[in-house]
Amino acid sequence: MARTYRALAALLSYPTEALQAATGEIAVTLAEEGLVPAPQRAAIDALLRELAATDIYELQERYFGLFDRSRTLSLHLFEHIHGESRDRGQAMADLIELYQSHGLEMAPGELPDFLPLFLEFLSLLPQDEARAMLAEPAGILRALADRLAARNTAYAATMEALAHLAAAPDIGVSDIPDEDPDDLAALDVAWEEAAVHFGPGEQADGCSTDRLRTRLRAAARDASRPPAHDVASA
Amino acid sequence: MSHFLDRLTFFKKQVGTFADGHGIVTNEPRAWEDGYRKRWQHDKIVRSTHGVNCTGSCSWKIYVKGGIVTWETQQTDYPRTRPDLPNHEPRGCSRGASYSWYLYSANRVKHPMVRGRLLKLWREARAIRTPVAAWASIVEDPDKRASYTSKRGLGGLVRASWDEVNEIIAAANAYTVKTHGPDRVIGFSPIPAMSMVSYAAGARYLSLLGGVSLSFYDWYCDLPPASPMTWGEQTDVPESADWYNAGFLLLWGSNVPQTRTPDAHFYTEVRYKGTKSVVVSPDYAEATKFADLWLHPKQGTDAALAMAMGHVILREFHLNRRVPYFDDYVRRYTDLPMLVRLVRQGDHYVPERQLRADDFADALGETNNPQWKTVALDAGGKPVAPLGSVGFRWGEQGKWNLEAKEGAGRDVSLTLTLAGDNPTARVAFPYFGGTAPHDFVATDHPDILTRNVPVRCLELKDGSTPVATVFDLLCANYGLDRGLGGDNVAMDYDEDKPFTPAWAERVTGVPRNHIIHVAREFASNAEKTNGRSMVILGAGLNHWYHMDMAYRGIINLLVLCGCVGQSGGGWSHYVGQEKLRPQTGWLPVAFALDWSRPPRQQNGTSFFYAHTDQWRYETLNVAEILSPTAPAGDWSGSLIDYNVRAERMGWLPSAPQLKQNPLTIAARAKAAGLEPKDYVAGAVRSGELELSCHDPDDPANWPRNMFVWRSNLLGSSGKGHEYFLKHLLGTKNGVLGKDLGAEGRTRPQDVAWHEQAPEGKLDLLVTLDFRMSTTCVYSDIVLPTATWYEKNDLNTSDMHPFIHPLTAAVDPAWEARSDWEIYKGIAKAFSDVAPEVLGRETDVVLTPILHDTAGELAQPYDVRDWKRGETDPLPGRTMPAVTVVERDYPNLYARFTSLGPLMEKLGNGGKGIGWNTEHEVAFLRALNGTASTGGPKLESDVNAIETILSLAPETNGEVAVKAWEAISRATGRDHTHLAVHKEDEKIRFHDVVAQPRKIISSPTWSGIESESVCYNAGYTNVHELIPWRTLSGRQQLYQDHLWMRAFGEALVTWRPPVDTKGIAPVQGRYGNGNPEIVLNFITPHQKWGIHSTYTDNLLMLTLNRGGPVIWISEDDARRVGIADNDWVEAYNTNGALVARAVVSQRVNPGMVLMYHAQEKVVNVPGSEVTGQRGGIHNSVTRAVLKPTHMIGGYAQLAYGFNYYGTVGSNRDEFIVIRRMNKVDWLDEPEPAAPMEAAQ
Repeated sequence: MARTYRALAALLSYPTEALQAATGEIAVTLAEEGLVPAPQRAAIDALLRELAATDIYELQERYFGLFDRSRTLSLHLFEHIHGESRDRGQAMADLIELYQSHGLEMAPGELPDFLPLFLEFLSLLPQDEARAMLAEPAGILRALADRLAARNTAYAATMEALAHLAAAPDIGVSDIPDEDPDDLAALDVAWEEAAVHFGPGEQADGCSTDRLRTRLRAAARDASRPPAHDVASA
Repeated sequence: MSHFLDRLTFFKKQVGTFADGHGIVTNEPRAWEDGYRKRWQHDKIVRSTHGVNCTGSCSWKIYVKGGIVTWETQQTDYPRTRPDLPNHEPRGCSRGASYSWYLYSANRVKHPMVRGRLLKLWREARAIRTPVAAWASIVEDPDKRASYTSKRGLGGLVRASWDEVNEIIAAANAYTVKTHGPDRVIGFSPIPAMSMVSYAAGARYLSLLGGVSLSFYDWYCDLPPASPMTWGEQTDVPESADWYNAGFLLLWGSNVPQTRTPDAHFYTEVRYKGTKSVVVSPDYAEATKFADLWLHPKQGTDAALAMAMGHVILREFHLNRRVPYFDDYVRRYTDLPMLVRLVRQGDHYVPERQLRADDFADALGETNNPQWKTVALDAGGKPVAPLGSVGFRWGEQGKWNLEAKEGAGRDVSLTLTLAGDNPTARVAFPYFGGTAPHDFVATDHPDILTRNVPVRCLELKDGSTPVATVFDLLCANYGLDRGLGGDNVAMDYDEDKPFTPAWAERVTGVPRNHIIHVAREFASNAEKTNGRSMVILGAGLNHWYHMDMAYRGIINLLVLCGCVGQSGGGWSHYVGQEKLRPQTGWLPVAFALDWSRPPRQQNGTSFFYAHTDQWRYETLNVAEILSPTAPAGDWSGSLIDYNVRAERMGWLPSAPQLKQNPLTIAARAKAAGLEPKDYVAGAVRSGELELSCHDPDDPANWPRNMFVWRSNLLGSSGKGHEYFLKHLLGTKNGVLGKDLGAEGRTRPQDVAWHEQAPEGKLDLLVTLDFRMSTTCVYSDIVLPTATWYEKNDLNTSDMHPFIHPLTAAVDPAWEARSDWEIYKGIAKAFSDVAPEVLGRETDVVLTPILHDTAGELAQPYDVRDWKRGETDPLPGRTMPAVTVVERDYPNLYARFTSLGPLMEKLGNGGKGIGWNTEHEVAFLRALNGTASTGGPKLESDVNAIETILSLAPETNGEVAVKAWEAISRATGRDHTHLAVHKEDEKIRFHDVVAQPRKIISSPTWSGIESESVCYNAGYTNVHELIPWRTLSGRQQLYQDHLWMRAFGEALVTWRPPVDTKGIAPVQGRYGNGNPEIVLNFITPHQKWGIHSTYTDNLLMLTLNRGGPVIWISEDDARRVGIADNDWVEAYNTNGALVARAVVSQRVNPGMVLMYHAQEKVVNVPGSEVTGQRGGIHNSVTRAVLKPTHMIGGYAQLAYGFNYYGTVGSNRDEFIVIRRMNKVDWLDEPEPAAPMEAAQ
């Protein structure tokens, strides 16, 4: 049982004055448990200082702009896995069942795939089990960490720590090969869907890195190849 | 090697392949099958539907597992139809099937949100002040106010608790009511039929407050004003099943498979039965695949096409040969036999108003309302006042019917034409086709066409006067040579004279032989089937400035062929109105008529025109649209001047109403020792009270608080989007043109001009939504509302006769609440906050003269304006009616949550009839329980639903019988047989949850529900002889109001688009080096959004290009070097927008087509011209008002909410379009405001 997960969950939750007051406690917990290695901890310390020192409205607007107004930074994990697919509902139902099998009932008000909620769940598990479970969305955590880093936000530190804990491979946005959108043949190749096959082997679904690649490619689908512009403020 | 050991002894290898190698046997695990099994394992299936923007009204199964909505499929349990008629299902389309995506999408509004800067100011102020004082301290300080209003749309929202946001809203409302007046609190929500309780929640709150509900149908330009003009009916149409009864279907400017997907199967099926179909569409729209013949006129020239078809039908079916069915129909059901006075104008005559009984010395024996009884000649040539005209409707009972009788009860057969023994007169008709903007064809005919018309002189009170029948005038108007001599008429279709097929070929581009062929087949089918020819028409025609001409042209075809009111025939306009079937049960709940009457209701178009200051940029001069045959008089002034005249004469509503707070008027009246109505009449004349409409830019007259719910006002329906941003909201905008002051143009006469235009009239903009729409992005407070699968509500449509529910499959996710609960919460907070400044108050409400009331007989002949000293201001006659209403602000919540005493005291009713409703209220007390106020409880959404269902004739057979009894008294004929067999049927919420239910026939509507015919509009007019609610009581083809004649629209004609002059001031000023082209800008409805879902649904976006697109023809694209998928920019004086180009053969040269309502928040980069993000389709539009839509107090041309009024047309706009050089996503943080460009 690691309180580190709860600390990281708090850091990814909507900032409140209570959170500002608890930054010291969070720092102590992270240091004591030592799950997050020192370099990542230093980055988190910077975030903690920013949280403690910045006007709460400013923090909240910032959080809203990052996590509430963006699909690419959504903290709901299945947004990145299932997106608009019909599998999403079933996946959430499965996750609720998982929590229930551990004797936990969700309080109303959030969805089961909300990352801070998931982290709180991990904080209640034995460490090995928690690490293993965190590894499942490792690819997503890596992608989120890279996207946050690209935006120069201190929130990247938390996600970086999680990606590290999840032992996520380095296959971030930067690994996606450049596509020339004017080259229709290349576009066709990039967009060609794999034939459906009924058999063993990795499917282009679930949390696989293939699936993630496809989704990142979809997000980057644009003539001048800007980052994914799905939700933009006016 | 013997391979001994290679052989298996105990096993055999699996067979590798079968079916000649096409099949392969594998032994992989079968776990994948679980995916399919799981999909069909669910805890429950709940019935719901899609609740605002879709007319489909399809019932859906919502699958719920573990408290999560997993998916949805179509319901298939609609009640069966009869033999030989296909069933309604399957209903539902890809948009609906993708809706569940919204529930858990990243774009969901999850928590109550407030603009951060506002919340900070509020908390600081609230820490030391009471709520209302805290709000005052913010909005009365210009710097504080601007600190958040100027940041609208630029990010900066933070979460707050429900209690806190409710208190802010309540304090803002209470402050506004006290300081400025309740009519400064405005609400906008569209299309109540699709989720009527959710609509009612906000409207009820506003109505109890004294706030203003804005209409939407006219503002969306989905209201066809031709319908109220002709029939006195907002819109009434056949259900889609009735298409199956048609023998000839003309699909005109409607794209049925794309925008009426669940109904399209009837169209497919009827073609198998042999019905012929002609599709009229300028572009190769999806519907054209249904066509036996596809006509593609130049966009916007449909009226010319209809005129030529009318020319052919009159020639071949009324003149050269009289079809007995048509002849009988037009005599009995139209105003064609009615007489029109002709008056001298120069060396010719012009048609004036229709003759009235009062014109005769003996008033033809009529004593009640003789000024409002139209006159015809009987078979013997004697003038008679036939039954059914509006004069018979009010002040007497039993004679308002369409029996072929005159007032004294004598049978009469009316004379249709005076041709034969009578002399002729040269009568002038206006011709507008001589000038046309841009590439529209102007012909070289004179602007006045005189034609010979047979006339008779009658001895009237004011001497001998020539009169003609409407039929004879109509034939002359259509340019038909009847051997009467004179010019401007044609015997031959090939003559180039208005309005022959040859002439129309020139204007529309449609070959003349096609026009003749279609007209002939249309009428010939109607002749053989007694009227089973139908026209399905829609927004493609109705969004043009002169939409009335296209619509009236088409209506005339139907009327001349006896199709209206006949099964399988008639006028099928399906755009946006979406019939709220239990209307009279819903009205009291929605507008709090149970507590106080009348509610404040305002026509949306005039409101937005004034308060987004679009009038300050008006380029259309009245002289450009005035008829060359306009009667003598002062026709000067600008469009807003006409609107203001209409407001002060009581024709159109006006909000805010008076510069002075309406809560202070009663006290002033008392001080003056006068009745409020007399005081107001005197005070507006003396200037002691000022009508707000004369100075919409004075801060005293600004709207202050605004609610938007169930709507994306700024992202979809806000014509003149950039003007909204600039003047109503006061934030960054892309307006490119200059106002009249800066341009040195003529300013309005009756409206004050401020050199400095206001920017940011609203103190507070509150939006309720489940998705972060463009409107939410610009709002100060965003409230998370329940999705369509998370609330209980009711849903009806004009497309089918069933009523069915939305039900809560799951609780609202995150902190969302249903609209009913949200407004209830605001009402509670308001009642808590109000006593700080408000108690029981006396409100003085001004209302326009209303249709379907006796007041609609206001000024029978001339138009007299009290402001110009032409008459006295008489409330309800020459100015708005004045009513005193008691408000009980501290008890607003108690009133919101219970049904008030007026239902028992005054009864209920609608459309001019009323009935007692005590029995239903007693029933509701027993059903819902009794509230502390003594009335039945209205606490929950289900309480509200049961109230609607119990009070409405459509869902309560007992009420239906009462309603038919009421109208039987008016007509003197017994109509109760239409409902008496259903008297015991009472549809309750649980009934419709179990299965959609067919409604009960009601006099609210002109069709009936029966086992032998489908619902068809006008059915009871034709078959029950209930008059249309018009001047003549018949289908009114001649519009004789002074303003109609002044603007040349007494009879239908061809009017080219207006010139909005939006190109010249910007052309060449924003060049980026790429070639530019000027094209007409058309905004139809799309396949990937709007109906059931919006254009931010990734599932649907994936099926198109994933962002905003604009369609352009190959020819035009080639001329300016635009390739498919290029980013292009379109702009004019109104603003700019960016999109990708779809280069397609589908589109005609000369126009671009941009699907309506593509969200600014999805994949939209910045504009090179404005530097702002994108712009939306409405960034290049601006509303332009039409004076004929302002007429009021005149029978069918009297105001009704969403019934009549100015409309927001937008298709006459042109844009400059060119390829973009640089696509700037605006996602580099601005140094000064780092968080604002967040994705």
